[in-house]
Amino acid sequence: MSGIPALPALPPRGAAARRPVRLTAEERAVRRRDYFSAILFMAPALLLVSIFLLAPVVYNILISFTGWSHFKGFNRFVGLANYRHAINNPDFSAAASNTVVWVIASLVLPVLIGLGLAVLLRGLKGEEFLKTIFFLPRLVAPTAIGAIWYYVYADNGVVNTILKQVGAGRFAESWLYQASTATPAMIIAYVWQTTGLVMVLLLLGLAALPRDPIEAATVEGASRWQIFRHIVLPMLMPTVLVVTTISIIAGFTTFDLVWVMGRDYPNPSSLTLAIHQYWESFRSGHWAYGAAIAVLLGGIALIVTLLQVILQQRVESRIR
Amino acid sequence: MSVAGSSRRFALAGAATLAVLWLVPFYYAVSTICKSTAQYLSGTPLSLPPSLSSLPGNIEAAWAQTQMGQGMLNSLGYGVLGAGGAVLAAASAAYALARIVFPARTTWFMVIFAGTVFPFQIYLIPLFQGYARFGLLNTRLGLLMAYMAICVPFPTLVLRNHMGQIPRDLDEAARMDGCSHFRIFRSIILPNSTGPLIALFLLQFTWIWNDLIFSMVLTTETAQRSVMNALMVFQGNYAGTTPNLVITASVLASLPTVAVFLLLRRYFMQGLSLSVHA
Repeated sequence: MSGIPALPALPPRGAAARRPVRLTAEERAVRRRDYFSAILFMAPALLLVSIFLLAPVVYNILISFTGWSHFKGFNRFVGLANYRHAINNPDFSAAASNTVVWVIASLVLPVLIGLGLAVLLRGLKGEEFLKTIFFLPRLVAPTAIGAIWYYVYADNGVVNTILKQVGAGRFAESWLYQASTATPAMIIAYVWQTTGLVMVLLLLGLAALPRDPIEAATVEGASRWQIFRHIVLPMLMPTVLVVTTISIIAGFTTFDLVWVMGRDYPNPSSLTLAIHQYWESFRSGHWAYGAAIAVLLGGIALIVTLLQVILQQRVESRIR
Repeated sequence: MSVAGSSRRFALAGAATLAVLWLVPFYYAVSTICKSTAQYLSGTPLSLPPSLSSLPGNIEAAWAQTQMGQGMLNSLGYGVLGAGGAVLAAASAAYALARIVFPARTTWFMVIFAGTVFPFQIYLIPLFQGYARFGLLNTRLGLLMAYMAICVPFPTLVLRNHMGQIPRDLDEAARMDGCSHFRIFRSIILPNSTGPLIALFLLQFTWIWNDLIFSMVLTTETAQRSVMNALMVFQGNYAGTTPNLVITASVLASLPTVAVFLLLRRYFMQGLSLSVHA
């Protein structure tokens, strides 16, 4: 679970921290001991995070500015050459444009369908049962889902069979091998997998909303749609934003599902930046170029997160 | 009939239709694992299997060809130790951040939390290079440490919020009596955090079990690779894999986390609600 961007305020510091100085020797000793204990308590987490996550980030950024040829190491500084190489690389362009499709689709589809389902299912007789059905795909590993959906889309697979049975056989297609359908087909599998989670998160948000404004509006004769549009949706907006951010970042960094369904990379029709990054680094040995793609992916994630934080503040100031 | 009543019915019908569509891939998977290769190839993909008699053979073949036992054992180790270690490290850090007064707490917190900001792709090359240099490539320890580190920041955030809400008089009284921070952490704060601890452990365990990319990058040999890596290798192998076996392997690899969810649903839902309200 990465990419949970909302930062809550720290609990208030103890009054002791703000009291004017003048400490007895004993108090100072207690403080020193407390500081020392705090560092000890944080040490395992700090060590793990700095050795295995933060140091790699720094290293990755550094090598993205170095030479990228096989077996030569990273000692040659080349400035922005790796980033320029990306712009002129047709595989990169294909990957980038598919990634844009992924970003838009994972922004719109799971959130829209999930929101629709959340509103629809809430309070319905079979709510628990239906919720479980929509959530079920989330429990299956993306690798397994890719393997199953690969055959769903196969030439004599589920989709084509259904098309033939309803008399639309002429629309049958090699869905994963056709440039125009490969990425949309994978996105459908992704939507099938993630919408249930989005729905559950939004239902949790809905359940936490105050009932009074909704009841007041009902008493005054507002329609269901008016209540949803003018009362529920604005109050739910903070949750929608968090869920959208998680959804976008998970969407454009998706690796396993795309890797398993695409099979013969670097086939450009379903290439994404995440796959391109893996392929260039670990299959072609273009380490520094791969590092540059990773930096670009990190940049996009950062922009999305910042946008979310800004929008969040706007939405919250409007609610109050 | 009232307008509200008919729109309600319409809603139910819509949701039910969508639910049926949602179940088609499951139906496909379950019917396919009951067909032999010949049965699969001779019928249509959605036809009912003639009997369940092909299922045991499929399981046996998929299990053996995927070397699933080894993969599952490895993933169990990565999941239990990785998620367990990460949640403990996070709890200990969260105790300091929520319960001890010391300078620059926000900064310390941000250092740990920074680990959630980046997409995984940014860790892959440095980890691979570093592991190659220090002999951690293709070792269980190496992959385990990477998983553990990735699972630290998010639980730290959640547990810090949770521990900040535990009433303070509890540990102030204990401090008056001369209890050490470790005693307070162990006997007051941890017992008051079991719900979130279990929920976070389950979330992280599931993530580790389902991960593919770190196992692909850091382990290439059968002995250390995770269950998803084993599945990926099996399904990507054109020769000798047939849909019924690949799908049987996929279902087998997914069963443990599905079972854990169904058994511990309440904690899972708690974990999810922690992730929106954090």
